[in-house]
Amino acid sequence: MTKRLTVIPEQCSGCRICELVCAIKHFRVNNPKKAAIRVMITYPHPVMRMPIVCSQCRSPLCARVCPADALRLVNGVVQLIEENCVSCYKCLEACPFGAIYAHQDCDLPIKCDMCGGDPECVKACPKAALRLIPEAVLGESKRLNNVLSYAQMKEIEFYEKGEKKIIRYAEIGEES
Amino acid sequence: MSIKSGYFKKHLHVDLTRGNAERLDLSETFIKKYIGGRGFGAKLIWDNLRKHDFKIDPLGPDNLLVIAPGPLTGVYLPSSGKNSFVAISPATGLYGDSSMGGGFGVELRQAGIDAVSITGRAPELSVLLIENGETTILAMPGLKGKNCLEAEGLIKERLGTHAVHVATIGVGGENMVKFACVNTDWSRNAGRTGIGAIMGSKNLKAIVVRGDKDIPVYNVAGLVAENAIAFKYMREHKYFRMWQQEGLMNVIAYANEKGILPSYNFKDGVFAKHDQINGATMLSGYKIGDSACFSCPMCCGNICLVKNGKYAGTVVEGPEYESCAMLGSNLGIDNFAAVLSANRLCDELGIDTISTGGVIGAVIEGYERGILSLADLDGREITWGDEEAILGLIQKIARRQGIGNVLADGARGIIKRWPEMDKVILHVKGLEQSAYDSRSSLSMALAYATSDIGAHHTRAWTIAKEMEQGQNWSDDEKVDIVIYHQKVRPLFDMLGVCRLPWIELGLSERHYANFYKYVTGEEASLEELLERSNDIYNLTRLINVRLGTSRKDDSLPRKVWANPPLTGPTAGRIIKQDDFNRILSLYYQKRGWNEDGIPPASLERKFEDWAVPAWNEHR
Repeated sequence: MTKRLTVIPEQCSGCRICELVCAIKHFRVNNPKKAAIRVMITYPHPVMRMPIVCSQCRSPLCARVCPADALRLVNGVVQLIEENCVSCYKCLEACPFGAIYAHQDCDLPIKCDMCGGDPECVKACPKAALRLIPEAVLGESKRLNNVLSYAQMKEIEFYEKGEKKIIRYAEIGEES
Repeated sequence: MSIKSGYFKKHLHVDLTRGNAERLDLSETFIKKYIGGRGFGAKLIWDNLRKHDFKIDPLGPDNLLVIAPGPLTGVYLPSSGKNSFVAISPATGLYGDSSMGGGFGVELRQAGIDAVSITGRAPELSVLLIENGETTILAMPGLKGKNCLEAEGLIKERLGTHAVHVATIGVGGENMVKFACVNTDWSRNAGRTGIGAIMGSKNLKAIVVRGDKDIPVYNVAGLVAENAIAFKYMREHKYFRMWQQEGLMNVIAYANEKGILPSYNFKDGVFAKHDQINGATMLSGYKIGDSACFSCPMCCGNICLVKNGKYAGTVVEGPEYESCAMLGSNLGIDNFAAVLSANRLCDELGIDTISTGGVIGAVIEGYERGILSLADLDGREITWGDEEAILGLIQKIARRQGIGNVLADGARGIIKRWPEMDKVILHVKGLEQSAYDSRSSLSMALAYATSDIGAHHTRAWTIAKEMEQGQNWSDDEKVDIVIYHQKVRPLFDMLGVCRLPWIELGLSERHYANFYKYVTGEEASLEELLERSNDIYNLTRLINVRLGTSRKDDSLPRKVWANPPLTGPTAGRIIKQDDFNRILSLYYQKRGWNEDGIPPASLERKFEDWAVPAWNEHR
C-alpha cells in the first residue's frame, strides 16, 4: 500500500525541526539549509506556516523536464539517480511546489527520498503536521467533514439511560 | 580539555561611523571562558568600557552593541533559537541585555559568525547586511518612520528575497524610547533594557542576515541520542500539550489564583475579570495558530486574530503572559481584543510591552492620585480600562508626542520630571518591573533587587517555587535559590537556548552540559559551566559597580515596602525593610561581595585579558 507524506499546514508551528532531522539524516550535518523539506512562513497577511516537501507525483513534472533521465518513479517515490544527474537544476524550476532545493555545497539537487518509507520528519514533528497517510485514506477527513457540515441536516434530542443525546439526519425530500 | 568544534571562531566588528567591518578571530581561551551569548557580550562591553575609561553615553556612538548567539543556537536540541543583544542600557545606564527567540540567531550562526559588535553612528539611516559573513552597510533613509513589519517588508523587497532574517527597530527605536526593542520574525523581540534605542542612536534601522553554512557539531550521533531522550521527556510530560495550546497564557489563571497578577498598576494581585483575558478566552475565540522559535517542540507562541467588533482584523503573534498582564489587568483592561490591539501596536512601533504597561499603569495611578494634572496629560483624561486613551498613549510614547516625550524616557525620566511618581512607578535601577508581584515572595524581591539589568524576572524566577514550597524557607534557602537561578538562567543565555523546557517542563539542566559536550567536544561538567556563568554574573556586577552601582541601588520599588495588594490571597503583604536588608547582606556574603555589594578588587584580574587586543593598544 503506497503511503503519502502529507502536510497539514494549519498544525505547523514553524519550528523547523523537520528541516534539522532531514539534513542530519541525509548529510550528517546540522544545517537546515540542506534539508529536502523547508517551512515557508508568511506573516501577517496571510498568516501561514507551511512545510514544502516533494509530493512524489505520479506524473512528475521534474522527471519530464530532466534531460538526463535522473528522476524516475520507483515504488511510488520519485528517485534521484545520482549517477545520471548533470546538476542542471531544470527540475527545481519545473516543480510546481518548489519542493526541490539547491545548496552551494552540494552538487546535486536536494530532494525528498521518503527515507526509504519511514520519513524522519514525520517521526520528529512535535505537532503532527506531517503525516504518512495511505493513499486510499487521503482526503477522507475532508470528505467526512463535508458530510458532517451538510447544511440540510436536522437534529432531534432524545434520552438514553437518562443521558441527553442528539441524532442528526437528513429528511427525504419532496419529489419535485 | 579543548574546544574542538561548535564555533566559527569569528567575531564581526562593525564601525558605522567609518562604514567598515572587520572579521576578527576569537581565541580559544576567550571562547572557553565566556561560552557565547551574554558571556561574549559582557566581556566585549567590559573591554569597550575599559577602552573608554568607563565613560560611555548609552546613546552615544561609543556604546558598543553586541549581538551574540551561543554555541547551541541553531543546533538540533530543544528550543535552540535564542540570541542575545547586549549593551550599556539607556534605561539604567548600566549593563543591559535582552534575548530574542525566533530564527535570527540561527541565521547569524549559519552566516559563520559567533558575535557581532557594532560601534559608531551611521551618517544616515542604514541597514547592516551580513551574508555568509560578508558585510555591507546599505543607506536606506526611506525606512524612516516605518514600523517594524513595514521595514522588514521593504528590505526584503529591495533585496529581492524572502529568505533572510531581519532584526529591525520601529518608530520607538528611531526616537530612542528608552524601552524600545528590536523585533524579528513578526513579533519576537529583544524587548528589555532599551536595545532598540541603541540601534536608533546608531542610525541603524535593521540588521539583515542570510547564511548557508553548516553549524559545527563535534559529535552528531551523540547529539541525536541525547536529543532523543530530551524530546521524549518533553513530549511525554503531562503539561506538554497544554504548553503547545496555551503557551505562557496559562500563567494568567495561575498568577491570579496565587494573588501575584499585576492589576491596576500593582495595586492588587488579583483581577476580577481575569477570566476574560486568560488562556481559555484566547483558545475559545481568538487563537488561529501556533508559533515556535527554532527547534522548539513547545511552541509557546500563539497567533491570535480578532474576528469581529471594533478591533476586527487585528492579528498578532501573541500575547504571552507578560504582555497580557502588563497591557491587560495592570491597566484594568478586561477586553481581550483590546489587549491584542495594544500588543500589536507595541510590536509594530517597537516598544517593550512590559515597560509600556508599567509606565502607562503608573500614569493612570498618578493621575488618580493627583500627582499628574490634566494639563500633564495633554488635556485627555485617562482611567483604568480606558482602551482608547491607552492605545493613544502607546502611540504618543513611541512618537515622543506631548506627555509621551517624558514617558519615553522610562521610570528614571518620569521621576525626574515628577518626583512624586516614584511612589507609583515600579522599577529597580530604572528598569520597569516584570509582571510578577514580589510582595509575597522575599526571594523574588531579592531577585529583582540584585538582577544585573534591573527589575526583570529573567535572572531568577523563584516566585512560584517559594509560594508553593517555600513558606517556611530559611533566609539561607532563599538566598541559595536566587544565586542558583542567577547561575543557571544566564547559562541558557550564554549557550543560546531557551530556558522554558527546564523551568516549565523540568527538563534537567544536565542535558545541556551534554549538549555542550557533543557540540563543542569539550568535556565540561554542568558544575564547570555554572562556574563560568557565575563568572559572568560577577563581571556584569563589576561593570555596574564601575558605573556607580552599590548597595543603595539594589533596592525595590517603593510600593513593595509601602502598599500591600488590596484583596485576594496576598492582601496585606509587603516586604519589610529589615527582612530585606538582612537577606541582602546574606546574599552579598554568599557571593563574596562586601557589605556594600562591591566584589573584591582582585576579581577584576580575572577579566584582564583583551578579547580584541587592538582595543587595548588604541587606548
